[in-house]
Amino acid sequence: MIGYEAEQKDIAAARSDPRRFTVLYERYFGDIFRFLLRRSGDRDLTADLTQETFLKAMLALPRYQDRGLPFRAWLYRIALNEMRMHWRKRKEVVVDVSFVEARGLSEEIGVPVEDEDMERLAAALGRLDESRARLIDLRYVDGLSFAELGQVLGIGEDAAKMRTHRVLAQLRTYLSLRA
Amino acid sequence: MKRLYRISPQGHGTPPTEAEIARYRDPKRLLFNYQKAVRRPDRPLYKDPKAFITLLLIVLLAWFVSEVIDRPPDPPAPEPSEGHR
Repeated sequence: MIGYEAEQKDIAAARSDPRRFTVLYERYFGDIFRFLLRRSGDRDLTADLTQETFLKAMLALPRYQDRGLPFRAWLYRIALNEMRMHWRKRKEVVVDVSFVEARGLSEEIGVPVEDEDMERLAAALGRLDESRARLIDLRYVDGLSFAELGQVLGIGEDAAKMRTHRVLAQLRTYLSLRA
Repeated sequence: MKRLYRISPQGHGTPPTEAEIARYRDPKRLLFNYQKAVRRPDRPLYKDPKAFITLLLIVLLAWFVSEVIDRPPDPPAPEPSEGHR
């Protein structure tokens, strides 16, 4: 894990010489690839989207503002936009969630869901609107911290926490209604 | 866009290995695409006759339209006075 100050130095170096951006590219390529693969499910498509994400990041680097958060979160934000651009003509998107992630989420909601009853949780998640569902994906599937979540969504850390708690309460209501 | 959640024991399938990710990593291609994106056009616009004429036509059309819109309405014709009848 690279320190915050060392990362800022790498960013400053990449700003003055674009060739130095490859240091950041090498470091975060895997994270962004996995992040996008969880959404697309296709390795070749993911490779293209990851490449496009880094190109956009490179072009936008002069406008990057350090808010004391990991650079990775800024890259996640660009990657998410790339994914949305790719999905813009789709009417429906399938989001895969593992039992482990679903169990973690159901514990956070406060309504434990057994393995054989995961469809209830899937249905409840499917009822969320896009912005709320994105928040849950980022927090409980990608495992982002509230600070990173805030950076990706363009809001503060406290606002990210508050929104997450509201969505969890909404999911609790959906699950209780169906119980 | 509707989201459908599919919860299964394996979730997103087999995660990619480091070797697999390394196969897709291509910093040279990234730098090439970056250079292509930031490179200035070879010939400036004012030296390209086609682009120059197109631009000139657009400017002339815009000027013509603005002239037509800004022109004050014609004053009403004076009514003939009684004495002249």
